[in-house]
Amino acid sequence: MTTEFLTAIARDAFLAFFVAVCWGVLFGTPGRVLWVAGLLGGCGHCFRFVLLDFGTGLILATLLASVLIGLAGIVFAHKVDNPPVVFTMPACITMVPGLYAYRSMLGGIKITDMDILHENPALLAEIAHNIMLTFSLLATLAIGISVSVLLFRKRSVRDISLGWK
Amino acid sequence: MTPVSRENVSVEQFADMALDVGVFLLASGAHCGRVFSNLKRLADRWGFPIHINPAFTGLTITVRDREQPERTVTRYHDAPPHNVHLAILTLFSRLSWRVLEERLPFSDVKRQIEAIKAKAGYNYWLVALAVGIACGSLCMLSGGDCRNALCAFTAAFAGAVLRVAVLRLRFNPMISFVAASFVTTVIAGADTIWHFGASPEATLATAVLYLVPGVPLINSVIDLIEGYLASALSRGLYAAFILLCIAAGMTFGITLLGIGNF
Repeated sequence: MTTEFLTAIARDAFLAFFVAVCWGVLFGTPGRVLWVAGLLGGCGHCFRFVLLDFGTGLILATLLASVLIGLAGIVFAHKVDNPPVVFTMPACITMVPGLYAYRSMLGGIKITDMDILHENPALLAEIAHNIMLTFSLLATLAIGISVSVLLFRKRSVRDISLGWK
Repeated sequence: MTPVSRENVSVEQFADMALDVGVFLLASGAHCGRVFSNLKRLADRWGFPIHINPAFTGLTITVRDREQPERTVTRYHDAPPHNVHLAILTLFSRLSWRVLEERLPFSDVKRQIEAIKAKAGYNYWLVALAVGIACGSLCMLSGGDCRNALCAFTAAFAGAVLRVAVLRLRFNPMISFVAASFVTTVIAGADTIWHFGASPEATLATAVLYLVPGVPLINSVIDLIEGYLASALSRGLYAAFILLCIAAGMTFGITLLGIGNF
């Protein structure tokens, strides 16, 4: 636990906080609970950052982080009387796999040119890898947001008690 | 539970009200399970058994009168244009709980629904600013430095403003995604062309993220998990088409800047 590592974690959480709040504005999250979206986004994202640093795979780390966001969302839903989705959605979308989607797409543009493909046949493998990553990561975000449906046998989050309120 | 006071609300009246709420929820970004649970609470208040069939483009609902089983109505209503607005989900959720717990009268509920529907979203300049800050921050999270982030901020802000301007021209909404992603890509390509910043790739990859239909994509998977297959397919297809439009806009932009630079 060096100071450098802690600074990196703080930077990650700080930036993700802003991303989540701004996504909240884009999705029309009520103004009073924007801070919750930011808090969950910041905590979830830096939790993923720490997991990745300890050598966890990207997909597993994203899954654990989005499940953390989903569970924390249920707790906050009780506290501020909002459905959890209004803050878990912007918080989870901080981890949207933009870079991998972009690389898949750029590869797709490149292989429309046969010359480029002959020069670099490894492009196909790269595209396949990036597409699979993109879809897997999207699925993990959805699992995190719908964690209340998957883990609890209740119709509404209001009926879920996590032991403290 | 207090006994249900029916107030002589007819099945037709209730069906219309439920449709009104249901399509508005769908268009605001609620997944089908949420639409169903909200409508179920409203129906339980007046003791109507209901069945709903949510689709992405509209909602079919069947309401039966428990006391006169031969009186059944089935109605369909188109959804208004989809526009994600999560505050609406909060307001309808609270309203449906209050209707059930406090036994609100029908006329009062109708009035409150109208009030919720009239609720305005955030000002679009504010949204554009937020989008810029989000994409700039994501750029830094993806390995860019301050100069890359500034580039991503400018590109996303300009694209967001342009998208609303194009939408107001009443073209097919998909055109706005192509136009916005094209403009964003061209502006975000600046650091790639002039070689500044630590990671120009991060700028291009993150500047268009505000266009990614995250809510429909994630709702599609949630619907899939909950078994609303028709809706899951339509949402997935809608999101996939938007992604395709973004890719098309980026392709134009990248081709214009010269594919060899990337």
